[in-house]
Amino acid sequence: MIPASAGVGLRFAHHRAVLDERPAAAWFEVHAENYMGGGKPLAYLEAIRRDYPVALHGVALSLGSAEGLDARHLRRLAELAGRIDPALVSEHLAWTASGGTHFPDLLPLPLTEESLGVVCRNVERAQQVLGRLLLENPSSYLRYRHSTIPEWEFVAAIAARTGCGILCDVNNIYVSACNHGFDALAYLRALPAQAVAEFHLAGHRLRKLEDGRSIRIDDHGSRVAPEVWALYAEAVTLLGPRPTLIEWDTDVPPLAVLLEEAAHAERILRRERADACAA
Amino acid sequence: MPALLELQRAFAGALVQEYERGVWAHITEDGFNAAERLRIYRNTCRATLIETLRMAYPAVERLVGCEFFEHAAGKFVERHPARSGYLNEYGAAFPVFLAGLEAAGELPYLADVGRFEWALSVAANAEDRPVLDPGALLGVAGEHHAELRFAPHPSVSCLELAYPADEIADAVLAGDGAAMRKVDLTSGPVRIVVHRGANGLETERLCARAYELVSLLCAGEPLGRVIEAAPEQAPVLLAEQLGKGRLSVFTIAR
Repeated sequence: MIPASAGVGLRFAHHRAVLDERPAAAWFEVHAENYMGGGKPLAYLEAIRRDYPVALHGVALSLGSAEGLDARHLRRLAELAGRIDPALVSEHLAWTASGGTHFPDLLPLPLTEESLGVVCRNVERAQQVLGRLLLENPSSYLRYRHSTIPEWEFVAAIAARTGCGILCDVNNIYVSACNHGFDALAYLRALPAQAVAEFHLAGHRLRKLEDGRSIRIDDHGSRVAPEVWALYAEAVTLLGPRPTLIEWDTDVPPLAVLLEEAAHAERILRRERADACAA
Repeated sequence: MPALLELQRAFAGALVQEYERGVWAHITEDGFNAAERLRIYRNTCRATLIETLRMAYPAVERLVGCEFFEHAAGKFVERHPARSGYLNEYGAAFPVFLAGLEAAGELPYLADVGRFEWALSVAANAEDRPVLDPGALLGVAGEHHAELRFAPHPSVSCLELAYPADEIADAVLAGDGAAMRKVDLTSGPVRIVVHRGANGLETERLCARAYELVSLLCAGEPLGRVIEAAPEQAPVLLAEQLGKGRLSVFTIAR
């Protein structure tokens, strides 16, 4: 069980520091694919798991693939889950494989009834093996002309049909809202609070082109932006305090920086709990 | 409206081939056109795979320099898409690709250094599997000894290389120019066994005879054949492989 507190995305560079310093993080989350082999990484994770709750976050199961799931990848994920006994397992509303080729990015789906059926089938298949999954909304840089369902309705429908939870990535909502011009707050208001089981927070960058155009890229390479902190505070108020993760994957700073970000999230969670008690 | 399967194949095609336009008509263009939007995804995929190669081949990168490595890895990525979502499996064919690069001709040992580094990467990431307890062999009746076949631990690689790639990799990663200058490129082939032992990665150079026997054992040849090849050396070599934890299981195959 992961408390409604702030955790940190565990990266290889911090394995030793976590074991030596036992930082005051409430929990850790790892990218499952980084621990599918054996050796040192898995040994570190098992040692850390003895003292902290751990969540597994998959990035390559390709829940949006019309071809169905890669049985070998699902088996590897299940073996890792069997070994680590994670408190949560999550994946993305995206596809990453087609025709035997795997793409190391979260590729966007057209939001149609057909896609909804495909994702629900794949989530149900994965949940038969892994137990309840949380599904994360990804950042996106394109939309399809034939999409007919707003993303927030799509995510809510998957949760309703499959019983999966929602991993609400607040930074991703902000990035996609800026890139596609929708209302981030309206997205949060449309999510079913009882299904939301985790928040993600990360940094992104604003890429400005010489011709004046700009696009936000979800690169997990900096501190959480002030606008995303503000949106997170709204999310906590609207949806309730939930386990919240600080992600940082590129130009990874010292662990202390991640812990500072987690402490910021913790203050927002605490404030919401205090407000709820006062009310 | 395209079926999802068809759309994903067209999208995948556009990620592999920049000018594959099948998916463009289905992408909303407001502010950025389809090609620009697809390029964001293509660049991330490409950068991630190049970074994966960089992690697996640090000595190769030091030998050729960052710029050339980026160029060569980029060419490799274009021709070799990932076949698994588990990226530690990506890049096995990079040494063969390096061997075919005309521009790398000045470094004839480059592909061997790549082979050595791939073996290290395999050893580091191999799944955890118990090593064979020598005591388990005590229960095998003497008449079956010749029929014993062994499977190596998944971390084991046996390498026969034309150049002393282990020395070169060590010297270049240590930034030790003197050690690099001392490497004798004409010393003839080296035979190396790489595996992950209880204390981490281990590499061992073997003489031609010992290498042949260890290779036979690790290829699952019956023990009888190994003993036939070297009646005196085989028992010692088998004991060494068991002691180092290079063998995982045995079977008795009649």
